[in-house]
Amino acid sequence: MKHTDLALRRRTVLGAAAAAGLGAALPVWAQGKDPIQFATLLDFTRVYTFLTDEYSQGQQDYIKLVNLEGGVDGHPIKLIIKDHASYPERGIAQYNEAKAAGAVFFDFLSSPVANALMPRADEDHLPMIAFAHGRADAADGQAFPYVFPSAAIYRSQAALLLKYIDEQEGGLKGKKIAFVHIDSAFGKEPIELLERVAKTKGFELKLYPYPVPGTEQAATWSEVRKNRPDKIIIWGAGPGQAVSIRGAVTNGISPKDIHSVLWLSESDMSAFKGNEVVGVKRVTLVNTGSDNPILKRIVEKVINPGNGSGDKKRVGWSGYNIGVASMAIAVEAATLALKNGGGPLTGEKLKAGFEMIKGYTADGLMPPLTITAQDHQGGGQGLISEWDGKRWAPKSDWGSAYQDVVWDLIKEDQAKAKEKK
Amino acid sequence: MFYRLSGVHHTRYSQTRQLWPIPADRWQIGILLVLALAAPLYMSQLYLSSYMLPWLIFSTATLSLTLLMGMAGQLHFGFAAVMAIGAYTSIHLTRFGVPLELALLCAGLMSAVIGCLFGAAALRVKGLYLVMATLAMQFLVDWVIVNVTAISGGAVATLQTPKVSFLFIPLESLAARYYLALAWTVLVTLLILNIKRTSLGRALVAVRDKDFAAAVIGVNIFRYKLLAFFVSSFLGGVTGAILAFCFYKAVTPSQFNFDVTIQLVAMALVGGLGSVIGGFLGAGFVLLVPIVLLNLIAWLAGTGWLSISTSMMAHIPLMLYGAMIIGFLLFEPLGLAKIYDNARKYLLVWPFRHTQS
Repeated sequence: MKHTDLALRRRTVLGAAAAAGLGAALPVWAQGKDPIQFATLLDFTRVYTFLTDEYSQGQQDYIKLVNLEGGVDGHPIKLIIKDHASYPERGIAQYNEAKAAGAVFFDFLSSPVANALMPRADEDHLPMIAFAHGRADAADGQAFPYVFPSAAIYRSQAALLLKYIDEQEGGLKGKKIAFVHIDSAFGKEPIELLERVAKTKGFELKLYPYPVPGTEQAATWSEVRKNRPDKIIIWGAGPGQAVSIRGAVTNGISPKDIHSVLWLSESDMSAFKGNEVVGVKRVTLVNTGSDNPILKRIVEKVINPGNGSGDKKRVGWSGYNIGVASMAIAVEAATLALKNGGGPLTGEKLKAGFEMIKGYTADGLMPPLTITAQDHQGGGQGLISEWDGKRWAPKSDWGSAYQDVVWDLIKEDQAKAKEKK
Repeated sequence: MFYRLSGVHHTRYSQTRQLWPIPADRWQIGILLVLALAAPLYMSQLYLSSYMLPWLIFSTATLSLTLLMGMAGQLHFGFAAVMAIGAYTSIHLTRFGVPLELALLCAGLMSAVIGCLFGAAALRVKGLYLVMATLAMQFLVDWVIVNVTAISGGAVATLQTPKVSFLFIPLESLAARYYLALAWTVLVTLLILNIKRTSLGRALVAVRDKDFAAAVIGVNIFRYKLLAFFVSSFLGGVTGAILAFCFYKAVTPSQFNFDVTIQLVAMALVGGLGSVIGGFLGAGFVLLVPIVLLNLIAWLAGTGWLSISTSMMAHIPLMLYGAMIIGFLLFEPLGLAKIYDNARKYLLVWPFRHTQS
């Protein structure tokens, strides 16, 4: 056996293991503990494409890091990664498959699929994360015991933007605020919250829906222009977001007055030249950049040895870091579950683990997250950051806003749903 | 070979006119039916719930569409909306306390009425213009469902199906849901097979082939076009309700959006327009082949034969799938059903080479 042969063989073994999502878990296998299976069934091909690529890359790299550092209590984590293209029926099939294979944790990153599977996850006692997607009332742990948004839901994000305008941009009173949104359930979700706060804070709210999928918004923006609003909040995802910003800028709206939901990534912004969009603000739930202990370890132990799961330049981008954060939360829950309940890890134990998470920040990557049996949103904290031409710079501290209104709405939704039953 | 024609003598007209005059066809159908009935006994929960059940229900939806597109020649690009009307009607009625048997019937009628309203366009226009009209139906219905909170349930955009029973059997277990879907599939299949042999079916075919000529020989086009839309939308509505209750256990607007319409049209086309077995083959192809390809690629990557990124892994099955559709349609433009038919005709006269049918 020549030296080159050995190197080659090692590389193919590693490559195979990496492709199977095991990372370099080889040293851990030797301990003979069963792997824990997490299923990330995402949409790589239809709606969120490039975002999903970033997100999944972050997830895989983080899991590789965890496995290199000895896994969870000695158990390596195995990721089951599949593409459901946001088709609910395909998502259901893959969920059943992963369940049969023994997966104890699920992530779908697609509202239609997640909504179709929430009741099933509750029935089967298998926890799923719904980080910044899925239905709003899943934040209530009593209604959906096995669904964990684990981050500020959309209404909380809208609340954060309003609070920022109120405190940093000269108050809300008497202002005209335009809410330009995609005409879907996701786009309409914040409306009720905006209306409530509009009443108490005394600003005028105007709604401007644009049709799905959001690539055509010209008519909407000329409407907005006619009304000369003071501030704009845009609410979309995927390709429509860059179209919204283009529409606003061409209609003479200053980028400083544009505020966006979480889904506005570096790739969306890099489509614009120079300084024309400097000043756009966005809700941030997970810090960007790789200046964080976890990301530094990922770079050092996974990326530099050449075991990264994708393009190096994306490490630290918004989508990538959200992926890292989602897995960090799940791994934290698994760690707590095994510490308190012992192995083997089951869905029930993992759920209990999620509800033990207290003030977890993933080494400063996210705001402190505290999940309880009632509150699966975990506090609803975030911050507002501003595009400075190269990156998203934080403009405020972590905090939450109008949570009382958010929870009132959740309770009302549930009362309505109960009436219908 | 299998298809022995020698020794089959028909001495009555009713024998020659039966659905399957050749014994081989009959025992094949029998075997398939027994396999379908026994599926919960030999299939794992996973295969039954993720592959068999959606395949049955989508086959039924494709058959409902085939009645309209294949037999009556009326193009419909809004069939998912028809199903959505059925699903939402049935779920609201059952939540209100109406028994499921009645709710399914009302779902069908509601879809049929609304389907007819839009189908009325077919009285004036044909071809591409009809596609436009039915597309409008798709988007209009989508918009109404999303925007009228009384229908979709507002911000809680997912309506869970209530606990119901069908003919005193609770629809809790997977087996119960499977048998309800199977019963509906068998019913619709027999209906479509037999419609072809009735005056209605012959009138529809006449309208499809040349509606002007059909009018000259005395077919009431006005009536039959509307009837085609009515029957097909009725079946589609009930199928939508079955899909909600047996498979999804919930209803959201996105389960019936434009993509689903395209999927249904693809199922009808790839299977073979106007053919019953084509409905099953087409639905199977469109639903299951992507899953099989995905698993195959994932397995290849797992064994280390392919070292590619996850995102690439997700796209390769799509490319293969597209290539397969193009390949099939180049090989046999009339769809999968025609491929089956060619094989059957070959076996009919085997070992000779000339076919007579």
